[in-house]
Order: sequence, then structure tokens, then C-alpha cells
Amino acid sequence: MKAEIRSMQEAMEKQGYIAEAEIATAVYLSQAMGKPLLVEGDAGVGKTEIAKVLARFLGTELIRLQCYEGLDVATALYEWDYPRQMLRVRMAGDDADPEGLEHVIFSRDYLLERPLLKAITRVEGPAVLLIDEVDRADDGFEAFLLEVLSDFQVTIPELGTIQAIHRPHVVLTSNRSREIGDALRRRCLYLYIEHPGFEKEVRIIHSRVPEAGARLAEQIARFVQSLRERRLLKAPGVAETIDWAQALVRLHQDALDAETVATTLGCLLKDHNDLRDLSGGELSSLVEAATS
Amino acid sequence: MRVSGLVRHLAVFAQALRERGIPVALSDEADALAALTLVDVADRAEVRRALRVALKVRRRHAAAFDELFERLWAPESGEAATAVVNAARDRRVPHGRPARRLAAAGAGHGERGERDVPSGDAPAYSPEALLRRKSFEECTPEDLAAMERLLSGLASRLATRPSRRLVPTRGRGRHDPRRSFRRALATDGEFLEFARRSRAIEEPRLVVLCDTSGSMDAHTRFVLTFLLALKKAARRTEVFAFNTALTRLTPWMVPGRIAQTLDRLSAGVPDWSGGTRIGECLAAFVDRYLDGTVDRRTVVVIVSDGLDRGDTAELVSAMRAIRSRARRVLWLNPLLSDPRYEPTARGMAAALPYVDRLLPAHNLESLERVLPLVAA
Repeated sequence: MKAEIRSMQEAMEKQGYIAEAEIATAVYLSQAMGKPLLVEGDAGVGKTEIAKVLARFLGTELIRLQCYEGLDVATALYEWDYPRQMLRVRMAGDDADPEGLEHVIFSRDYLLERPLLKAITRVEGPAVLLIDEVDRADDGFEAFLLEVLSDFQVTIPELGTIQAIHRPHVVLTSNRSREIGDALRRRCLYLYIEHPGFEKEVRIIHSRVPEAGARLAEQIARFVQSLRERRLLKAPGVAETIDWAQALVRLHQDALDAETVATTLGCLLKDHNDLRDLSGGELSSLVEAATS
Repeated sequence: MRVSGLVRHLAVFAQALRERGIPVALSDEADALAALTLVDVADRAEVRRALRVALKVRRRHAAAFDELFERLWAPESGEAATAVVNAARDRRVPHGRPARRLAAAGAGHGERGERDVPSGDAPAYSPEALLRRKSFEECTPEDLAAMERLLSGLASRLATRPSRRLVPTRGRGRHDPRRSFRRALATDGEFLEFARRSRAIEEPRLVVLCDTSGSMDAHTRFVLTFLLALKKAARRTEVFAFNTALTRLTPWMVPGRIAQTLDRLSAGVPDWSGGTRIGECLAAFVDRYLDGTVDRRTVVVIVSDGLDRGDTAELVSAMRAIRSRARRVLWLNPLLSDPRYEPTARGMAAALPYVDRLLPAHNLESLERVLPLVAA
């Protein structure tokens, strides 16, 4: 393994993110090639966390754009502060120099910077720009994003073109609730994160919930792994595992038992049908398998 | 290793991926080349990881990619790899071939297609209400023609769903202060007119999987007529037919010439009226089309009697995958019209937990009742 990739892996681990070689390679390549990284995977496998960890160890700011259906350019890029402009015009009165006034109200002071603009105009150095759940935005927004991500420049009619001072490190995440367009995919490097295997999950629990003992951590990981094999509607992610481990630590458990698992199962399974399917008999046999 | 050799080898490898149906663009190859200069090319596992990232290999292609990489990636000897690719080409699974075969078959049946087109006879008069309740099995060709006319009027009644996206509107909707201020700037700060915006109207998204097996024959033609009418209102409707194999019908669904299209279909689709393997076919759908056609806004409609000879385990896992992605799953079952019917057919019983609504589909009235569920 290349030394740079290994040191990336170690740096991420130091921030509490257990990254296997796939993840470290992808993050390293995206840094070295200066291309955005598109991360896909089931909910709760640690996609968003990659951006946070990256920002922490680069010691820079994390700028987050949460996507949703109906997200538009005014919320993502910039908007003029119309009420303030209005007040400024009113205050100037009738005898004001109209051209000078125009320069004042269409200056950067009256511009509301939204995440995308903020990310490319950051002066102190490149920021980490997290575009979260890009699959939730409309197709139209995706096309717009493509434009920003290829040139890293934004044109504001009243001000002209604003060029990125530093190109931000871009991480996009998607839950695959719809297919991301080919054009956007091509602009990025691509990483698919699977649910962690047993070894990795134990290491994650150790790193994130150090209060959990070795025995409990292994039992938790084994139980969650066996749950994922059951093809649930909403398989528990790493985030759920960590929640559950924390819950068990609070309850002063040092090992799993059927009763505690039954009462805390809501930490892991967030779907009514999944909870119902896992009836008492099956649950206790799963717990038994995990603890033996 | 010399870079020129690497470039050639990469091109050969990318071509092999494309042959297997893994989309690789030229720009992806450029990315891959850049990535290879950044990693340790002697470390095979690292090269594989880097190529997966740079070539943007999706999860559903990951297994095929790994297999090809294992077989073909030997950058030391570009020539040898080329030979392997050529050999692989002859053995390769013919992706996309069914569609081509289908088109060819369809082209050859032009004249035969005319056969079943209702001749110019005036259809017998039937009171509309009676026609709506008439079971498809009892319909005469004249009835069918009348129903087709009824159906074509129905498309416009298909309600549409308001989106969360707000678009500017005139005279109605809620206030939009930002745009109001913006406009006021143009009129020296006077608010002459308030801007408003309201929710955009969105076209319904539909994916229909239609059973065309022998046990469904009487209904199939009619359901497809219904779908053609529906496609006028919901242009993004995707239609698939299945019996022993899955076929994408969407490109064939041409509105306006319903009878001809249906005849072309029955001539072109393999096993138009054979047996059913629902599980296998739905699994094939999940594998190939689910990601591209179904999202949170899509309603999936399955038209089948659920009489299956296949394995139900496969059906269950396919239904689960569809359920977890779609907005709603509807199952139309023509057998439901019989009051004695219980959904105990093996396939039907297995699929039932993943279905939002199980609905009858034996006459026009029952199909009309489906409409609000598709739209809302």
C-alpha cells in the first residue's frame, strides 16, 4: 500500500473513523486528483461522517448543504438581502445619487452567501463542502450542481463572475433513493460503502463507545451482523449500532440478555414491520447465537 | 512500467467492462489513468480499489468488475490481456440481446398485426354503466372498441400530485416576500403587486409490471389498453411484461394505435401466453431496472393473478426490494372479482405483506378505481 494512503487511513482512524483500504484510497484519490467524491451506501454506514472527519483532520471548516425536494438556487448559492436593500433605498431619500446607490446595494455587503458560494469564497483556505443526500434534490438542481462543480465559479448578474479562491474538497452523499445522473457521476470519483464486517464493527464500537467492554462489543457486533443477514426493510447501520452500544452501557450491561435486547431493540430497528417480524422466539435464539 | 503500456492496457480493460454492460466513458478512463499514477501499481489489490473508485463502478456491477479484474488485469503484458479479452468476447453473456431479437421479431409481423384490428363495423350500443361492469372475459370485440373510447377520455381525469417545490404563480398561492421586494425595487420601492408562489404540480410516476401468462390472457389485452390511455397523462410511465421472462414494453407503447400495438406485442414478446415465473421475473426487474426507474415518488403496479410455479423465496426478496424503494405498491388481481377468492395462491400469499393495496382488475370500473391511488 502506498504510504500516502496508509497515512490517510491512520489520520482518519485518529479522528475516530475506522476506514478500510477502500475508503482511504477513495478519499486520498479525491484529494490528490482534486475531484469531488460521491459516496453511496445504505443509511447509517458513515457516509456523512467522511466529510466531517476530513474537515477535522485538515483543520478546516465544514460547510454543509443539506439537499431536499424543492431545494433551489436561492437557498443553495446566494440571494440578495432584499429587505435591507429596500431600507437602504428608502433611507437615501430622493436626492441621492442613483448610480452610487446602486453600487452600494448590489455590493457584497448585501449578498447573503449560501453554502455553495460560501465554500468557494472562503479566504482562509479550502473548506470541506458536504452536499448531503443529493438524491433528494430535484433533477434540475443536479444539473445546476454539475455546473458549479466543474468550474468552481458562480456568475451573479449584478456582480459578475466569482472565481473560487480555493477549490473546496467536495463530498457528495446519496442514499440511492434515485439514480444519480451519469453526468454528475462522471464529475466525481465514486465510493460505495458496505455495511461493516464483524471485525470492523467491533473496532468501531471500541473507538466510539470505549466504555463498552470487549465481551459486550463483540456480542453487539455479532448480534447486529446476524440482524443484517435477515434482509430487513431497514437494516441497522453503524450509527444504530453505536446508539445501541451507548444505550446498553447506560443500562450497565456487560453482556446481552434476551430481555434487555427486547426492550432496547428500538435503537436498532426503526421500522414497525421489522420489529414485529422479529417475534420473541426468534429474537432469543439470535441473542443466544450472539452470546455463545 | 512504461506509461504507454498502461494506457493501452487500461483501454483494453475498459472495453472488456463495456462489453459486460458496465458503463465506462472516456473521461472515466482518463480519471483511472490519473488515479493509477497516484497509487502503487505493483499492489494488485490497491490497483483494483483505485480503479473501482475512478471508473465509478456501481454496486450492482461490483461483482462483474471484480471478476473481470481478476481475469484480465495483468499490466505487465498488454498483448496477453488483449488475447484474453478477445476470448472473453466470444463467451460473453449477450446483454441487451433480447431487446434486439424482440425488435427484429416485431418488424417481421407487420401484416399479421392487422388481423385482429376491429373491422369498420359500428359497435353495438351498450349503456355506459353496463359496459363498465362487464367482465373482460365476456366482452365482445365491439364492447372492447367502445371501452377503448371510454378509456381515452379517462386520461385527462388523472389527478396530479402537488410537489414540495414552490413555483411563482399569478394571483393565487402564498406570499413570496423576497420576490415582492425584488419587484418593488424596480418601481422605486413601491409595492404595486405582491408576488405569490404555490406548489408545483408533478406528473405521476408509474412503473407497471404486467403478467402476460396464459392464466391472464383474457385480461392482458385490456389492461394494456388501459395502460396506453394512462400513458397519455403520465408520460413517464414504464411498462414491463413478464411470464417466463421479463421484457421492457415501454418503447412499444405508442398511444393512438392501441390495437396495432397490442398485436405487435403479442407477436414480439416471447411466451406471450405461456406460464409464469413471477419471482424470477421480478428479481430480474430489481436487478436491471429498479435503480433507474423507481424512486420515492414512483408508484409500482403489478398486474397478475399470482399463480406462480417458481420459488417464493425469490419473489419475497424482490417484493421487499421494490417495497423499500417505491412510494406505493399496488397489486391488481383479476381473480379478486370472485367473492369466494382468497389470496392463497402461493405467489400471491408470499407477496401480500409487501403490497399496499390489493385490488380487483376484471372490468373497467375496477380499473377506474385504481386511478386516484396512482395519482395521489
